[in-house]
Amino acid sequence: MAFSQFLQFAIAGLKSGAIYALIALGFTIVFAATGAINFAQGEFFMLGGMIGVWLTRLGLPLPAAVVGAVALTALLGALFEVLAIRPIADGDPLRIIMVTIGGSVLIRQIALHVFGPDEMPLQGFTAGPSIMIAGAAIERQTVWIWLITALAVSALFLLYRRTMFGRAMRATSLRRDAARLVGVDTGMMVTVSFALAAGLGALAGLAVAPLTQTAFDVGAGIGVKGFAAAILGGLGNPVAAVGGGLVLGLLESMTAGYINPLYKDAVALVVLLGVLFVRPQGLFGGSGREKV
Amino acid sequence: MTGRSMWSRCVGVAFAAVLAVSMAGCGAAKPTTGDGAAAETYKVGVILSLTGSYAALGASEKNALDIEAKRINDAGGVNGKKLELLIEDDGTDEAKAVAAASKLINQENVVAILGATGTGQSMAIRSEVDRAGIPEISMAGGTAITANFDPLVFQTPWSNTLIVPFVLKKVAADGHKKIALISDSGGYGKDGLAVLKVEAPKAGLEIVSEQTFNAGDTDFSAQLTKVKSSGADAVVLWTAGKEGASIVKSAGDLSVRLPLYGGSGQAKVEFPQGAGPAAEGFIFGTGKSLVPANWGDGSEQFTVVNGFAERYKAAYGSAPDIFAGHAFDALAILEDALKRSNGDTSPKALTAAVEGTKGLVGFGGAFTFSPTNHNGLTAEDLSLYQIKSGAWNAIP
Repeated sequence: MAFSQFLQFAIAGLKSGAIYALIALGFTIVFAATGAINFAQGEFFMLGGMIGVWLTRLGLPLPAAVVGAVALTALLGALFEVLAIRPIADGDPLRIIMVTIGGSVLIRQIALHVFGPDEMPLQGFTAGPSIMIAGAAIERQTVWIWLITALAVSALFLLYRRTMFGRAMRATSLRRDAARLVGVDTGMMVTVSFALAAGLGALAGLAVAPLTQTAFDVGAGIGVKGFAAAILGGLGNPVAAVGGGLVLGLLESMTAGYINPLYKDAVALVVLLGVLFVRPQGLFGGSGREKV
Repeated sequence: MTGRSMWSRCVGVAFAAVLAVSMAGCGAAKPTTGDGAAAETYKVGVILSLTGSYAALGASEKNALDIEAKRINDAGGVNGKKLELLIEDDGTDEAKAVAAASKLINQENVVAILGATGTGQSMAIRSEVDRAGIPEISMAGGTAITANFDPLVFQTPWSNTLIVPFVLKKVAADGHKKIALISDSGGYGKDGLAVLKVEAPKAGLEIVSEQTFNAGDTDFSAQLTKVKSSGADAVVLWTAGKEGASIVKSAGDLSVRLPLYGGSGQAKVEFPQGAGPAAEGFIFGTGKSLVPANWGDGSEQFTVVNGFAERYKAAYGSAPDIFAGHAFDALAILEDALKRSNGDTSPKALTAAVEGTKGLVGFGGAFTFSPTNHNGLTAEDLSLYQIKSGAWNAIP
């Protein structure tokens, strides 16, 4: 009984953890390209779920709606970058951060006007009962969340390490002027990284919407948690982001299970403060020497 | 100044202007009816949760208020004057509710406040209401709203003191002995939990688990896992927010196969819609008026409730839920009070008029207030319902 309880908490933790990992990845990608934190990341998560629901209401079958929502959100992410971030003189990270904060409020209000304030359900990707293991239940959608996270992480890994394009992105993040000298279109790299981050956020939003329902205001909370996860792991590399996400998810779940569920939301903030005080480079952050 | 930065400046200014305009459009007071000079209308302040956890409730309430105010005004208004409803959104947040109350009282000089949608918000605006001395007719169901007595505050829903023992009686009658409670940490849930803890032993039930959650929570595995291992025979859910549907759905997904019971908070279509098949068999207690036919054809009660239901359906295409009904009652009580006070809107006179409401047939039942009873309803106005195939049916 005690073990099945522990297992259930662990499963819940890994489920939220995978979502936080996807959001944290989004933060990491934009940070790597611009040196700034994109505080609108949570809103991309919200847009993914909302656009997905809207597309299903227009009549599209679920797989098409999911793909469509991710693509549309990625496009919106790129548009956001081109309109709001690119014009910023010198690409100053501080200014970028401020613009993303304003952008997140704008996106949320537009979503409120377009979609209304009500919560909206999304059907699960596959129907069926939960899988029982040793007395704990794993919802089918949770398996999807894990699959999607694993796929996204592997795809990103391949992109960054094995393709010319990925090399160009890494070059941009290491030394922008040097990258430009060797012919990399750094402006395009930044736009693409925003699009990627938005797509990842949307994917997370769609994967979890069947379990939690989505609404215009879910972005802010998840943004903070994803950010805490990114800091916990270390803002440098994607593996760290995933690790940070999973660890945060487990910490939250165990706190809710063994201490008090009402403290769950405080865990991310406590972790954020703790990491910044004790080990600012995060759990997995290294010294960051890299050669492209 | 180069051409490029001149352009960025223009874009920046335009951007800021658009931002300002769109933000100003949200949450500003929206007059729904009324015309002419202020002296020709009764200004009524309305505080609703149009966004946040109670958005679905606020939307229903606004729908009801819009059509009823229009109906009253089209028929000539009250005492020859039209009603002007000034609606503010409190976002299911107590601080915002207080700000809204302050604005309505100080800037608009409203004669009364209808609201708020939620218990926490209704309690929070008391200080503002007390300072102005105007009546507050709340549409929230927390017991504390009238049990924690304030001469200016009234409530139209069946309070927790009525519904909790009513539901628990059914739980016991179904043969359960040990129950697990799941409630939210906000005003309504906390209020309900307190009443549940008092009433459960009286109904012969033992509480073996008390779980709580915060509004906005999306994962309930911790609470549901603990309920599963608590040895409870049944679960009583007490919340009015959107989390209710997610909790029941999660319970199904996590194989928590216990009978589920709840209160008025689940009497809205969003509940079975969001919870899906997991809501099958869910039993909740709320007013008879959820299904007007409960009152029996030909009774005055049926005429009033059905009339409202027909008007609502004609305007919005769906039947009203109880929250629309609570708003209908709030406006009806105010209209009746204005008539009896002969248009005297001075705070003392209007409050006395509201308190003098006797036998006013509304959605909730027949309201009779007194200097000690500001809820005005009884358990006779309640009924049990069960969800089958996504719809609720009255059960004996």
